[in-house]
Amino acid sequence: MDVIPNEEEQMVKNLAREFLEAECPPSLARNMEKDEKGYPPELWQKMAGLGWLGMSLPEQYGGQSLPLTYLGLIIEEVGRTIAPVPLLSTVVPSLTIAQDGTSEQRQQLLPRISRGDLIMTWAMQEQDPRLLPETVHLEARAQGDGYLLSGTKMFVDNFVVAEKCLVAARTAPASEQSQGISLFLVDTGSPGISATALTTLAKDKQSKVTFDQVSVPASNLIGELDQGWPVVQRMLDLATALICAQMVGATRKDAEMAIEYAKNRVAFGRPIGAFQSIQHMCADMILWVDGGQLLTYEALWRMDQGLPASVEVSQAKAFCNDKCVAAVRTSQIIHGGMGFMMEFDLHLWYRRVTAWSLRLGTTFEHRAKVSRALLDQPGKVRLGMTMAAVP
Amino acid sequence: MNFAYTPEQESLREEVRQFIADNITPEMLQEMEESGIRRRGPQVDELYKKVSQKGWIGMSWPKEYGGQDGSRIDQYIVEEEFARVGVTVGGAGSGAPAILAAGTEEQKKYFLPGLIKGEIIFALGFTEPQAGADLAGLQCRAVRDGDEYVINGQKMFTTAAHYGTHIYLMARTDPDAPRHRGISIFLVPIDTEGITVRPLWTIQNEPTAPLGTTYGERRTNEVFFENVRIPASCLLGEENMGWYVGAMGLNLDRVGASRYLISVKRDEDIVNWIKENDLDGYSPAEDPAVRDRLAELWIEAQVCRLMTMRSMSLVEHGGNFTYEGAAEKVWAPEHGVRTTETIAQILGPYAQLLNGSEDAIEDGIYAHNLMGAFQSGINHGSAQVMRDQVARRGLGMPRG
Repeated sequence: MDVIPNEEEQMVKNLAREFLEAECPPSLARNMEKDEKGYPPELWQKMAGLGWLGMSLPEQYGGQSLPLTYLGLIIEEVGRTIAPVPLLSTVVPSLTIAQDGTSEQRQQLLPRISRGDLIMTWAMQEQDPRLLPETVHLEARAQGDGYLLSGTKMFVDNFVVAEKCLVAARTAPASEQSQGISLFLVDTGSPGISATALTTLAKDKQSKVTFDQVSVPASNLIGELDQGWPVVQRMLDLATALICAQMVGATRKDAEMAIEYAKNRVAFGRPIGAFQSIQHMCADMILWVDGGQLLTYEALWRMDQGLPASVEVSQAKAFCNDKCVAAVRTSQIIHGGMGFMMEFDLHLWYRRVTAWSLRLGTTFEHRAKVSRALLDQPGKVRLGMTMAAVP
Repeated sequence: MNFAYTPEQESLREEVRQFIADNITPEMLQEMEESGIRRRGPQVDELYKKVSQKGWIGMSWPKEYGGQDGSRIDQYIVEEEFARVGVTVGGAGSGAPAILAAGTEEQKKYFLPGLIKGEIIFALGFTEPQAGADLAGLQCRAVRDGDEYVINGQKMFTTAAHYGTHIYLMARTDPDAPRHRGISIFLVPIDTEGITVRPLWTIQNEPTAPLGTTYGERRTNEVFFENVRIPASCLLGEENMGWYVGAMGLNLDRVGASRYLISVKRDEDIVNWIKENDLDGYSPAEDPAVRDRLAELWIEAQVCRLMTMRSMSLVEHGGNFTYEGAAEKVWAPEHGVRTTETIAQILGPYAQLLNGSEDAIEDGIYAHNLMGAFQSGINHGSAQVMRDQVARRGLGMPRG
């Protein structure tokens, strides 16, 4: 038991911070909000060069086989500098393919991802804002040696720059045997696909994607037919843990800006940071971020160990949704009017953290998952024990 | 990072649990609870002797002073298991770390083994009627007179004074120095002539709070010092350096299992209760509002656990924490209050019923907790003082 990052982990984090602080000034995030692609390809190549894209992919596919906690530490720093890169949307499907793909799929895709040659994304959510199997209606109908996909996906990250997308589709009605969901690898340029850009709070690249009889070969099925839900769940858990890391990184930086501002801004004849009302707001911000960070690290660490982590992931996301948003809002309040001036950088962080709190599961959904684990299975609970997730 | 205990630590936990099952009886807990009005009884003394023979107190202290040279995490595991049944072991308060850091060889050899065996119990003598949160304003005087000090003054909320053997006393030795630099610490035998201990009864008294389950004590004390003469060898650390010796000890005392556990045990209790019980057909476990709130609290409890783990990890790394102990001391007590108040709203009017009342749920612990939960956020450094520390020590914010 030692919850402090060890020397090597700290080094990974420091190097990532050093690189990102040099490469990603706030002006980059600001410029990319108006950019068509939303990311600078040179930066993406540099990240590939540093081995970040294949951080936790197996070495045989050009990866580094490093623990997910390392990837989490890097994404935390990406969040800190709000680096505009399609990292999360690429590494999550890459790890899903590494775990659940066929060896052919791995061979084809993973080395390209590690090299920075292939940007990916995934599409799960539809009209219903919740992440549940029954919300998946996009249909994949068997035809010949493949499937025809029809339906609409919402909130697909970086679809505009992704070459391939993992799509959760319905291949059967839910039954005793399965949720009837299958996961497909789809070329984003396939005939029948049309994407509409969504205008979002974070001014990031999300799309509403419509599939009209999009043809996908059977060899593009990830995992087994109708048995895709557990695969999607693992993918969502991983994505959720990593977005928590990103939120924690961004929120800590945001809080640090408020602390710095409070030390320098003079009112009533002294720095406002000398007032206890402001000090206590700052203390709370840091405590909230610390809490989110510890929960996130524990969830990632459990995944690395191959331990059940679904409940821990939900704990982290529910807490981060609540407390990271509280922290960035507090930071806005401390900054007063300047904080919401377009020319001032603070809102870049605020808009992202609040937006990320709405992705990959709301506070209510994740608490519902925790309460099911707590209340809907027999036996006494004990803090610190592992709780199985209840579907 | 590593969030798991070692197999050795897991088996230590099992051993402690078994020991508790074998040795702690309801009669013993009753006796312990009654220490609010009388000294610790024979059963409790016997228990502490056995625990100390097991080597479970002062585990992380050096062997030469009766410890095990062991890990603070091991000690934490022992503390946590005992805290679940309402028994405090292991920590020995803030006195022991201060003695380890600042004591003379003689003091270490005398006090540390005594604390381990339970033969020495410290009562914390810091707070005064006019010096609570602003501790450095304390007025109790200690004046050097040859080989002795003469103490005059009053201490408040000296909780263990009616069963402890020594007062771990903070007193002013130089009234002309800046206020943090004129304070010293003394280890004063409580039976010294001139010391008077008077009970202060808390709102937790009458009816007796149920066994080992509540926050807060039934009894605390005020202690009067009237020309109390003690040998100069009672001084801990250098004269006038007591503020720093004391603060370091307090810092370490704020972290650990008992404070966190008393706060989170309520989460376990209510979850386990509503899983198996209903209120005339109303099942809180199926009420969506209750479910959402309990999950929120459970997640907060995890944060309390992890913040405690962080402090323990930092102690293990050499104890260099700036604000993390204070962070834990903000979170755990405030969480305890939120849980207690939420439970009360789940049970509604039943949460009014005190121990011994007809129809009281779980011996009325929830009503007793409404009187006790907030106390944890006040004693040993209030949450507000702790936030000051986070801001000033942790974040380097300026003084007002």
